[in-house]
Amino acid sequence: MASLQNQQPPAFFVRGPSPFARLSFFAAISLALMAVDARLHYLTEVRQGFTALLHPLEILAHGPSAAYDATRDFITRQSLLIEENNALHEKSLKQSADLQRFNAMQAENEHLRNLLKASKETPQPGKLAEIIHTSRDPFTRKVIVNIGTQQGITAGQAAIDEYGVIGQVTQVYPFSSEVTLITDKDLAIPIQIERNGLRAIAFGYGRDNTIDLPYLPMNVDIREGDKLVTSGIDGIYPSGLAVAKVTRIERNADSPFAHIVCTPTAGINNHRQILLLTMANVAPAPSESSKPAQPRNRHAPRRP
Amino acid sequence: MRPVGLKQIYFSLLVAFMLYLLPWAGFGLLVRPDFVLLVLLFWMLRAPHLCNVGTAWTMGLLADLASGSLFGQYALTYAITAFVALSYQRRLVLFNDWQQAGYVFVLLVLTQITLLILKLFGGSGLPGWSYFLPSITGVLLWQVVVYSRVRVTGQKDH
Repeated sequence: MASLQNQQPPAFFVRGPSPFARLSFFAAISLALMAVDARLHYLTEVRQGFTALLHPLEILAHGPSAAYDATRDFITRQSLLIEENNALHEKSLKQSADLQRFNAMQAENEHLRNLLKASKETPQPGKLAEIIHTSRDPFTRKVIVNIGTQQGITAGQAAIDEYGVIGQVTQVYPFSSEVTLITDKDLAIPIQIERNGLRAIAFGYGRDNTIDLPYLPMNVDIREGDKLVTSGIDGIYPSGLAVAKVTRIERNADSPFAHIVCTPTAGINNHRQILLLTMANVAPAPSESSKPAQPRNRHAPRRP
Repeated sequence: MRPVGLKQIYFSLLVAFMLYLLPWAGFGLLVRPDFVLLVLLFWMLRAPHLCNVGTAWTMGLLADLASGSLFGQYALTYAITAFVALSYQRRLVLFNDWQQAGYVFVLLVLTQITLLILKLFGGSGLPGWSYFLPSITGVLLWQVVVYSRVRVTGQKDH
């Protein structure tokens, strides 16, 4: 007990500022941060920097699952591989027939575009990205992929898989980027009904992996099974990519709008690899002022 | 009770944060307990002079960065929970294990409700009831820790 004098006083008496004072201080800072982040968007660079600092930790955290995947890949059964190989062969055979037709049609299209003196449609190069993990936020439908600003990804790029549109890059970090899925509540995508060319805007529903087509009147010409494709009006998604299929239409007498539910075509929750398309290569529609005599193509994308 | 070092606290917080960073998906994501908050609560109830509102706020800011949500959401939420936890910290020595667990459960639910309110202000939609599952798994994890003879208040140490 004699040594108690040169020790610190017991923690019981060390109080510092009261908890309420601390809470007020930190609450004020976080409220300010939230306001600045949400309204003024000043913090994007700060955030990118800190996320880059967190990157090594993330790599470390992904170590176990990556090792597990690698092991599982390594000991895959041979029969499974042969089966998959056969399926892929069959698929490629089917697709090669389509592809031959595609080449002919592309040549024809180019020819027609030359006739119209429109600018040529340039193919959109894409970058293959791998999904690292889904968003940690249960409120949103997002995935994080493994390439970022260092690989030339910018916010706004479209993300697709082999079956259709998956979503759009909404935030980029140095070594990763965040793709908001089309089922997220905040993502809207301009679409067109493949059957009749009707344009609309599809919104994610936020739950149940479905997409909504709001604000369409009761008597709109949409049937179950209709395919929705991108219209290309926005300049982000190239036109003609599959987006979703109409699965249910509810027409209630008490609402002026039809309730249309669609399921995405792309395997939104299934794949690990996705393609990020480069923007700003969308061919503009044939200029209307220069050729007043030309009948306007009903399906041609119009500038907003 | 053994004295608690700052190193111990920071190391456990780092481990909890790494657990948070694991690639959770599907059902795991649905029931993932809030490891960081549980560790924070543990230290706040045991060593409030070392782990305080400021620590909680800083960890919240890190969680904000990792989750990509609005800057400051988790920070504010954790700070509020820390304040509530600390204001009743002295009384905790009178509680038995189950009462402590109840107290922790209330704190976890409070955190989720605060976060929900902040997210709703930010324009998110209402999640389903499964949103509150992490509170339940969190308190279960807490009980596991308590049963493995790690006493929170140190009063009943054998």
